[in-house]
Amino acid sequence: MMQKFAPSLLVVALGVAIAGCQDNSPQDEKVTINKNPYPSTYKALKSTTTLITNATVLTGTGERLEEADVLLVDGKVQQVGKDLTAQADLTIDAQGKWVTPGLIDVHSHLGAYPSPSVESHQDGNEMTSPNTAEVWVEHSVWPQDPGFNRAREGGITALQILPGSANLFGGRGVTLKNVPAHTMQGMKFPDAPYGLKMACGENPKRVYGRKGVLPSTRMGNMAGYREAWIGAVEYKRAWDKYDTDYAAGKNPEVPHRDIKYDTLRGVLEGEVRIHNHCYKAEEMAMMIDLSKEFGYHAGTFHHGIEAYKIADLLAENGSCAALWPDWWGFKMEAYDMVQENVAIVDAVKNSCAVVHSDSDLTIQRLNQEAGKVMYRANDNGFNISEQHAIKWITANAAKSLGIEDKTGSLEAGKQADVVIWNQSPFSVYAKAEQVFVDGAKVYDRNDSAFQAQSDFMLGQQ
Amino acid sequence: MKKLSRSFSLSLVAAGLLVSGTVSAESLAIINATLHTSSDQGVLEGASIVMNDGKITAINPNDFKVDKVIDAQGQIVTPGFIASVNQLGLVEVGAVAGSRDAGEDKAGIDFDASLAFNPRSSLIPYARKGGITRDLITPYVGDGIFAGLASVVDLSGSFESVNKKQAALVVHLGERSKGSRAFTLQTLINKLDEHQTKASKEAKKDDAKPSAEDTIMAKVLKGDMPLLISVSRSADIVELIKVKQQFGVNIVLNGAQDAVVVKDRIAKAGIPVIISAMDNLPGSFDSLHASLNNAGILEKAGVKVLLTVGGDASHNVYQLRYDAGNAVSYGMSQQGALKAMTSNVADVFGINAGSLEVGKAADVVMWSNDPFELSSHVNKMFINGVEVSTESRQDKLRERYTTESNMPRAYTK
Repeated sequence: MMQKFAPSLLVVALGVAIAGCQDNSPQDEKVTINKNPYPSTYKALKSTTTLITNATVLTGTGERLEEADVLLVDGKVQQVGKDLTAQADLTIDAQGKWVTPGLIDVHSHLGAYPSPSVESHQDGNEMTSPNTAEVWVEHSVWPQDPGFNRAREGGITALQILPGSANLFGGRGVTLKNVPAHTMQGMKFPDAPYGLKMACGENPKRVYGRKGVLPSTRMGNMAGYREAWIGAVEYKRAWDKYDTDYAAGKNPEVPHRDIKYDTLRGVLEGEVRIHNHCYKAEEMAMMIDLSKEFGYHAGTFHHGIEAYKIADLLAENGSCAALWPDWWGFKMEAYDMVQENVAIVDAVKNSCAVVHSDSDLTIQRLNQEAGKVMYRANDNGFNISEQHAIKWITANAAKSLGIEDKTGSLEAGKQADVVIWNQSPFSVYAKAEQVFVDGAKVYDRNDSAFQAQSDFMLGQQ
Repeated sequence: MKKLSRSFSLSLVAAGLLVSGTVSAESLAIINATLHTSSDQGVLEGASIVMNDGKITAINPNDFKVDKVIDAQGQIVTPGFIASVNQLGLVEVGAVAGSRDAGEDKAGIDFDASLAFNPRSSLIPYARKGGITRDLITPYVGDGIFAGLASVVDLSGSFESVNKKQAALVVHLGERSKGSRAFTLQTLINKLDEHQTKASKEAKKDDAKPSAEDTIMAKVLKGDMPLLISVSRSADIVELIKVKQQFGVNIVLNGAQDAVVVKDRIAKAGIPVIISAMDNLPGSFDSLHASLNNAGILEKAGVKVLLTVGGDASHNVYQLRYDAGNAVSYGMSQQGALKAMTSNVADVFGINAGSLEVGKAADVVMWSNDPFELSSHVNKMFINGVEVSTESRQDKLRERYTTESNMPRAYTK
């Protein structure tokens, strides 16, 4: 990729030079880049006014309400409180049950590494260049992955699909509504920002070191990021100049289009969010400096096994940390795990701790994953409540993805993404009984009419 | 409350005995416990258990004399859990080749990975947090058929942790990355056939020294050592039932995602099944019936179920108890789930532990509450009657980074 980079810079520079000579010619048609060429076609399933009554409600805003009701109208949460008197088409007596916002997983590879995990389905890692910012993982998503259905049965209502971590820049991630659909666009979360997957540490240097190209070391990783951002800054400058000149009535030459830099430019402009696979304290600290060097936000650190070592730095930078409760030891950079990682990150003021799965199995029990953290932390001096811990898999996750104005909490006006649990979701025996997305029931444990099945599973013996 | 005669050796509490398994066990009793025996006795309330010289010597005796008495105050006491099919002590960091000793390209039937068992691995104290006191460690093999021999180890951390070698011969069948599954099954059948013929010939001439493979295969053919076979597809399992019938060998199925399809045949053939209770995705065309309900379904069909942890089973083995809780949530009985990680494992691999019964190894765990729950933790743990700690390297790291200090963290130890 680095070899290809020089000529494209040349084109940009040339474009800028030529533009200077054409100031007075009549204007050609303005070239604008379509930022949404694969738009969402998601439509909420049919819903009715639904009143859930008498539940223990964890709102996702840090509150816990006993014997409370939740009213869903026109796909939105209309009211949460005691003894609501609304007229509802459907009333669900949730006595003894718990209600939470729909769970959100910020790190999934469903659809891109689907089940069955046969060779033909390995679509998550474009391992052909250390910078593949030009790929969009939505173009790999197989909506028939049975894993989407299993995740919904675990209360997952939204999730971000990310490309893998082989590359310094792995490509764009996409946020989906976890509804059954037979196209990716049918699942795409309307107006959710795009993510850009970056990766620190062992993976890129291993994959490309073997091929004898940069990076083969951690310093090679950093050099690779910096070269790319230098190119991105130039690219942005060229397009900004084109826009400015055109607006001034000039007829500038159209800069060279490069979809790799479209994505990086999106980051520089704050439209695309960084989601950075990065395990180690010293690397996360450098990634924050890198973001400052080039003027973008470092975004969310994913996996962050050593996030607890720099909890203050993460909060200060406004970076979320999306973490496992207990994965460790599969490689050297995952050796320093502590079971209280999420809780330590969370304890700092202005923090944004998230529990993520990165797994087609634990995405089905993100509630239990959060529960493990809560209980281990409380065993060791913390005092974390259920109403607080639920934020790690709802509101904070929504914040990481930039959809916190739409979902992630049970507040009036938010999308009615709701789970009814048979008991506290932090019990090993907890089961999601009913799941709603935009007010529509998409799963019911006791009604097969609301249990979606993948095309792949149909008719199998 | 029963009459007790206690001889306390006052607070020679376990602190000094934590690490070394070579320290001889003091005799002790846990009283006022809720004993989940994992035996025919089921659950005993307000019960006592006595340990002496590494063994359980009494359950609910009328009278006992011990060095130390622990009042459980009603807490749950279980046998230590026995994990299986992982590489505990054979790997420190998955991606660090020099710390991986469970697999060997040149290995064959007689490969004994337990020679590399490292009782001082950081994974072992961490695994104890999950109530695990013993483990069946297994070698693995890339594209081969015979991975080698499984062994039973305890998690005491002592250099004498390997309790039993040749606990099973590990075989991989089913789908292949290239070639046909028929070839691998045929290879197994031919191998059994070859050694069966050899055994009958050698019975006549006693001067020939048998090879290591001969000895192992003779044990397998006598039914003294099970074949632990990784396989998933139901049709493959049906073929293996025929193999069992033809050669009279003991077979244990591992993985077995589609075992539910032929559950009654498996139950009838008396073949135990090791599964990960959380394995519920159709990872391949061999496992289209993977489901959270499978552990309960197999149990109800009369299959002896053993629970193992999926994924990185070595580093994550402490989660076994949560898998058991989920299995219960999806239809397995509470006692059945406990047996699936205690007495069933002991029965299948010939381990003298896994239940709170007189004569069994004193592997005993006292829990804060329901051991299957996320909220519970180990309060006390004994392996061979010696108290062991569950403190791990992870706790040291947490302490370092949550303790206030004016000095760099490196000075906090």
